[in-house]
Order: sequence, then C-alpha cells, then structure tokens
Amino acid sequence: MTDLSGPGRLARWMFVLPAAAYLLLFFGYPLVKNVVMSFQQYTTTTFYTGAAPFVGLLNYSRILSSELFSEALAHTVLFTAASVLGQFVFGLFLALFFQRRFPLGGILRGLLLLPWLMPLVVTGTTWRRMLDPETGAVNALLRGLHLSASGVPWLTSTSHALVSVIVVSVWVGIPFNTVILHSGLQSLPGHLFEAAKLDGAGPVRSFRHVTWPLLRPVVSVVLVLDVVYTVKVLDIVLVVTGGGPADATETVATRAYELSFQQFEFGRGAVLGNVLIALSLLFALVYLRVDRLARNV
Amino acid sequence: MISPAGRRAWRVSTHLAAILALTSAITGCVDGSGVESAGDEVTSITVLDYYTDTSEHAQWNDMLATCGKAAGVKVEHTSVPPASLVPRVLRQASSRALPDLLMLDNADLQQIAQTGALTPLEPYGIDTSGISEGILSAGTYEGEVYGLAPYVSTVALFYNKDMLAEAGVTVPRTWDDLKRSAAALTRSGRYGMAVDASATFESSWQFLPFLWSNGGHERQLDTPQAAQALQLWVDLVSSGSMSKSVLNWTQAEVHDQFAAGRTAMMINGPWRIPALNADKDLNWGVAPVPVPRTGQNLITPLGGEVWTVPQGPSKARQQKAAQVLACLNDSANMLALAEQHFTVPSRTEVAARYAEQNPSSAVFVESVERARSRTEELGVRWPKAATGIYTAIQSALTGEQTPEQALQHAQQIATGD
Amino acid sequence: MKRVPRRGLLSTLVGIVLLALMLFPVYWVVNASLQPNGNTLRGGWFPLRPDFSGYAVALRAQGRALLTSVIVSLGSVVLSLGLAAPAAHALARFSLPGTDLMLLGVLITKMVPGIVVANALYSAYTDLGLLNSHLGLILADSTAGTPLAIVILYSFMRTIPEEIIDAARVDGAGPLRVFRSVVLPLSVNALITAAVFTFLFAWSDFLFALTLTTTQTVQPITLGVYQYLGAHTDQWNAATATAVLASAPAALLLVVAQRHIAAGATEGAVR
Repeated sequence: MTDLSGPGRLARWMFVLPAAAYLLLFFGYPLVKNVVMSFQQYTTTTFYTGAAPFVGLLNYSRILSSELFSEALAHTVLFTAASVLGQFVFGLFLALFFQRRFPLGGILRGLLLLPWLMPLVVTGTTWRRMLDPETGAVNALLRGLHLSASGVPWLTSTSHALVSVIVVSVWVGIPFNTVILHSGLQSLPGHLFEAAKLDGAGPVRSFRHVTWPLLRPVVSVVLVLDVVYTVKVLDIVLVVTGGGPADATETVATRAYELSFQQFEFGRGAVLGNVLIALSLLFALVYLRVDRLARNV
Repeated sequence: MISPAGRRAWRVSTHLAAILALTSAITGCVDGSGVESAGDEVTSITVLDYYTDTSEHAQWNDMLATCGKAAGVKVEHTSVPPASLVPRVLRQASSRALPDLLMLDNADLQQIAQTGALTPLEPYGIDTSGISEGILSAGTYEGEVYGLAPYVSTVALFYNKDMLAEAGVTVPRTWDDLKRSAAALTRSGRYGMAVDASATFESSWQFLPFLWSNGGHERQLDTPQAAQALQLWVDLVSSGSMSKSVLNWTQAEVHDQFAAGRTAMMINGPWRIPALNADKDLNWGVAPVPVPRTGQNLITPLGGEVWTVPQGPSKARQQKAAQVLACLNDSANMLALAEQHFTVPSRTEVAARYAEQNPSSAVFVESVERARSRTEELGVRWPKAATGIYTAIQSALTGEQTPEQALQHAQQIATGD
Repeated sequence: MKRVPRRGLLSTLVGIVLLALMLFPVYWVVNASLQPNGNTLRGGWFPLRPDFSGYAVALRAQGRALLTSVIVSLGSVVLSLGLAAPAAHALARFSLPGTDLMLLGVLITKMVPGIVVANALYSAYTDLGLLNSHLGLILADSTAGTPLAIVILYSFMRTIPEEIIDAARVDGAGPLRVFRSVVLPLSVNALITAAVFTFLFAWSDFLFALTLTTTQTVQPITLGVYQYLGAHTDQWNAATATAVLASAPAALLLVVAQRHIAAGATEGAVR
C-alpha cells in the first residue's frame, strides 16, 4: 500500500484500466451516443447513405406530444409500481415463511430460485401460452374450479393485458426478493426476538415493532433494485403481449425498441431511452429521499 | 494452507485460458466461413423468405434446390415468420448482411427498394414479358423492375363442410349471411368465424377485401364505408361468433384453429390448401370473401411474393441469384409452383393454361383477376396506411374506440410521418 | 429426536404446496414438451405417454443455436472475470484515486437500460462489422456480467486479511504475483459465484441477440425460442422442448452450484 510511484504504480493502474475502459465503452459511450442520436433524424435509408441530419428538438417534441407516449408512460409507471409491490409482498411473505426451520426447508428455498434464473424469453412464451384465453392452462383451471365460466380474457382485453404482464413480472421477481429479504432476516440479532417473545408480543406485533424496523435498510436496497430493474423490462412485455392488444401494454421500453429496431427511427428510440434513464433515476431518488425522511422522523 | 486452493485456482485458470482459445478459434472459423472475395467461384447462395409452414417450406426448398442446381450453386434456405421479415431485412440492409436472393411480400417491395437495398432486374436479362400488370407494377419502383413473383394469390373464405351441413347453413355470400352463419356455427369450444386481427400487416391485408368491396379506400380511411366494414368485424366479435383472440392470431394461427376444428370458417389464402389437403379428417371448401350486399363486386388485395436480388458483396453472387430468380419465374416452374400452392401463375398465358387444367382453382383465378395491388395507389406510403388500418382494427375490436373513432386515428397515422 | 416434528412437518407441507404453485409454469412447459406432435392446441395435464419427438426436432433445428449460446456465454464469463478480477483486486487493495468514482460507476450501470446500450451499439457495430459475430455478442452480453462480477469480487477481496498479502510481499512477490498466487486462489468461491451469474446472464440475453444479430449465422437459443411465437402451433412440442433446453443450464446450475447462487444473490445487487 506504500509504493505509489514508479513502475509499481503503473502496474497497479493496469489492474483497473481494462475494466474501466470496458465500462466506459459499453456504458459511457452508449449514454452519450443516445443523447446525440436523440437530436438526429434516422430513417430506413440512414445506414445506406450515412445521412442522419441534426434536427434539434424535433424528436423530443414529436415523441413527448404523442398520445402513445403518455399512454406508454402511464403503463410503465403502473407496471413498475404494481410489479414491485407484488414481488416485494410475496417475497417478504416467503422470506418470513422460510425463516422457520423445517425439514427440506433449504432445498425448497433453493428450488424457488428457478423462475428467476430461467431466460425471460422462456418465461414469457410459457406464460403467454398458459394465459391464452381459449386454450391456456390458467383459464382451464379457473373453469375447472368453477371460478369463471367464460374464462378471463388475459391477453385479449385492454384492461386485463397489463395485469397479465404484471403477473408474469411478479412471478419472475418473487425469488430475488425472497432470497435477499431472507438473508436480511437471518442476519438480524436473534436475541431481540426472544426478548419480544418474553414480553408477550405475538408474531404480528413482533414483526411490526422488531423485525420491520431492523429490516428497513435491506428493504430499501431491495426496493430500489426492484424498481431500477423493472422499469426497463422489455423481454417480458415483448413476448407475452407484444405491447398489445391495441397498445394496452405498450411501455416506454417496448416503444423504444419498436421505434429503433422495427421502424428504424433510432433518433426517436433514443429519446425514449433517455426518458427511461430519467425515469429510473427519478424513482430511485424519490424513494431514497422518502426513505431517509421516514427514518429521520 | 494456500497451496491446495492455489493448485485448484491454477487449474481453473488454465481451463479458462483453454476455453478462451477455443472460443476465439470457433468464433474465427464460423465468422470466416461463407465470405469469399470477388472472383472466387460462387458455390452457394443464401435465400431468405417467410415460408415457415412445414410443407410450404419443404416445397420451396425443393424448387430452390432444383433451380440452384441448374445455376450450379447450392442453396441455403432460411424462413422467418412473416411479421419479422421486413424489420430483419432492414437490419440486414444496414449491416450489409442481406441474403443473395430475397423474397418479399409484393406490398413491401417498394419500401425496401426505396432504401437502396435491392438491384434492378433488367441488367441481369430477366424476361418480364407477359407478366400480368398488377403484380409487375407492384414489383416496380421508380420505373425499374426489382421483383418478380412466380404466382399471385389473394384471400378467400374457407369453410368446414361438415360443420356447415350439421348447422344447416349455406356458404355465406353477403355480410348479413356471414353474421347469421357464423352465429349458427358457434358452439361451446368452437367459433363460427376467424380472421387475423393481429397488430401486424397481415390483419390489414385480411381487412382489405371488406374495406374495398364496400367502397372504402386506403387513401381516405375515415369514411362511413370503412367504418361499416370495421363494424362487421366488431359485430362478429361482440356477438361471440368470433373469438376475441383474433387480436393475437397470425394467419398461420388462424389456419391452426381451423384445422383443429375450433373455428368453422376463416379468411386465409390458397397457400394453405396443401396443408388442409394433408389432413384427411378435414372436409373443407373455399368460396369468395362475402360482399356487403348481393350482386356487389368483390375486390381483394393482390397477394404473391416477389423475388429480388439484394445488393451483395460480389457481382458474381448476384448473377447466380438472378439466374435462380429467372428459373423460378420461367413458365414451366411457374406452373409447377402454382399447382403446388394452389395459386395463379403470374404470366397471363400460363394462367390461362392453368385455369383450363385446374377448374377447381376457379375461385382464386377469378378473384385474382379483380385483385388490386396494395401499393397501386400509395406506393411507398402503403406501410403507413397499413399501420393505421391494423391499429384501428385493434382499437375497435378491443372496444377501446368505436370504428369511426378508430378510423379517424388510422387516417392520422396514414398521413402523418 | 427432539420435539421438532409435528410443526416442522406441517411447515414442510405448506412449503411444498407454495413451491408447487410457484413452479407450476415450469412443470407445465416440461409437460407440454413431452406431448405427442400434431395440432394439439390443448395437451393433457400429465405426460402419461411421454413423447420425445419434440426434443429430436428441437435439437435438430436448434443445435447450432445451442452451440452459439454456449460459446457466447463462456466467452462472456472469460471476458467478465478477466476484466473484473484484477479491477476488484485493485479497488479493494490499492486505494487508487478515483476508487469511489469507479464503484459508483459500477452501481450506476444498473440503471442503464439494455435498449439504450443496444441502440448505440447497433450503429457502432454496423461500422465495426461486429453485427452477427460471436465477439460482438460476447462484448455486449458482458455488460450484465462485468459490473456484477466486480461487485461480488470486490466485496469478497476486501475481506482478505492484509497480513496474508503482506507476508507474500515480504517473500518478494510483485503485485502480479500477489494477485495470481495469493488473491485469486483465496477468491475461488467468489470467482465461481461470479462466473455462474455471468454465464446465466449471457445465456438468458434476449435483447442483444434480437438487436445485434440479423442473420441465422450467430443466433443464440433465446432467439430460437422467440421465433416459434406466431408461427404454426403444429410444432408446439418442439417449441416447448426448445424452451426447456434453453432453461436447462439454469436448472443444472441451480442443482450443482446452489450454494454459489444463494451467496451471489445475497451478496447483493445481482439484479
């Protein structure tokens, strides 16, 4: 730790340099490039002619004034909020459940991770088929249990489709939330629970007054990670509904993809990419702020 | 203390190094293959189309192989789902990775030609004489012919004869007939009618016979005629005669529903006939798409895929591809392909011969004569209109908007940029 | 032996039910892949007569895609660890100026949407000729693995006691020797954890596969799965068999490296 001069110092820099260069090239460059692209007009011929003229704020005004954008933004916020809430609540429930010691507990907890590790495309196609209103397993089950005679129009109704993608997103997110919250719970000092028990606190009270306050830092991390991750989700929506029906599940991410890679309007796609980054920063900052205020009170 | 772990780490890192070496070796050889400098002899060409249907793919594979053999090349044939073909081609165009021979739906040709990705066919000395006007103009952009189609087709109404007989209904000829028959044919677990109403160009294409036969026009979508046509589809869904899932079905999936007996009637094209024929349990028939009222003229969209020679790395490859293209479009192969796919040869005199020999294909031969090409009026702006149309279909069928509102929005999309 | 049983077994039962609910979609896709071929829009609930023809078709059609996925994923592991391990060591040990900035940068990468990276890379790759190449995908896929590997390795390497390293230095080892013969061997577990996740991330990648390849030549298995959508349902068992094959590494690693996966997850920030 001492010798910070001469060849030794150079050698030390060589340890970080490749990674730093990589991160700059593959994160820094895209961030800058997206800002530049968002002021340019790309068309299907751009890559032939190389012509992508600068058009000022045209892309921004077009995108921000379009009806589809406000819809996509609303869907994104709803999708993110509902997904994160669902993942977190179910995750916390399972984490608390697995805190008990019982035979096979560890193995079951391990197997629970599978939905998280599967490729999202696989998850998406599987759920798409399962949610098929006519032939899907979910409606077959609902009909079999006499919970719904005609079945739920999971993928064909504009009011249900967003719910469907949220269900899938929750399913994907539960394992991650469970694991982190579980390990958070494990690291809490056990004697506090013993004390609470001795004071005659029931499970609900001991959760509210002992577990939850102690778990707060872990909860913050989990929620911020959930939000940052969910807000940019593309695969699930693209595969399960393709943004439909009638654009009912179009999000900022899917619109960005379509504009860039289906219609070759990279400039407008870049605008939405920037919106996405802003959105995720905003979510994270607001949450951290609210959290700090709540803890200071 | 450290040494066992140290040895293990060493082993791990040697393995990693070996993998890295292997990876780069494989990467190198895979990437290197298939690229030859100009002047080398061309031994194979790549072909891209959207014939993903198993039997259709196999038939085209054979024909391409035969034509390839005649030209002295092997053919690497790839098929992708219809909706993903154009985006893929656009990306290939920008990455200079286009196939040597490319199939396009005739309505997409002008858009792709506009990007500069295709080469005109005339310099290759390809014979375009006697090709019927509609498909030739669809294959033309700014006065140059870029694509030729061996056959043309259109859509029609397919019906399950057994189901119609059992329900006691006749083949519908008018929209009212269609609604009545579809309702009568609907049972638990089965719908009367199916169309492709997905958010893709395929649904715009299926909607056109309804739009055009009612006096509607893609140039002006917010008209009462267009709204009536869309209302028909809405009625079929809201009465329960058509599944709401049509919103997500591609033409291929509509076919699967029909083949599985889950719908009694469907709109589809003649290229499905080989697969339908292969299913021995299926007793099906085909009729023209119903018109609004008796005696009205049916106008259907002109279908048919044009073959093109994209810009490529070498003139030699383009030349070979053009030879294969010419072979696909010569009179004998044209007739053979049309017979295989139950479509209509695109050279008028071959079509005449074909109609004589195959009276059963009368429905399509007749319809094709009156068929209109989708790019006839709008040219490169057709994709905008098509986007407007399917957006309207989706909004109206989900009940988000009335047909009138939906079509007003469609018109905005069609004329916006 | 002790008086755990009654309540413990009840919990086990509840746990199994919960897990069955969670894993139903997994069961369902496996079941669908074992149904006989044909136009089965609705197969049975159980694979009473398992039919493996779907797998035969899938392997024939997707064999090359599987190989591509293996190459790309292993390549991404090598690249990510190759970049991350030295960097993590330096960040943990050298107190170089800018260490905090770098760590912050690593955390910020989580907020960069893949579509933004793809957008920029597409045009860059077009110019560099990296579209449709293994290298291009490896580089792009490592955007998920590298920051993660840095975090995992950094938080482990920080815990290596200074004395061990000093001892090696006294023996005359230079920085490279210390790293290679002391730090790396001690970090084997963390390395494996990072490798497992890097592999899985690259394997699951869909966005870069979708946007940075335009031909069939370098097409990972996730695209193979995607392309069955909207095509005919008469290949339903092959489509689901492909999906199962695409999930196999996840399942396999979950069994053989569960400890590492749990460790990686809790070390945080795997997302």
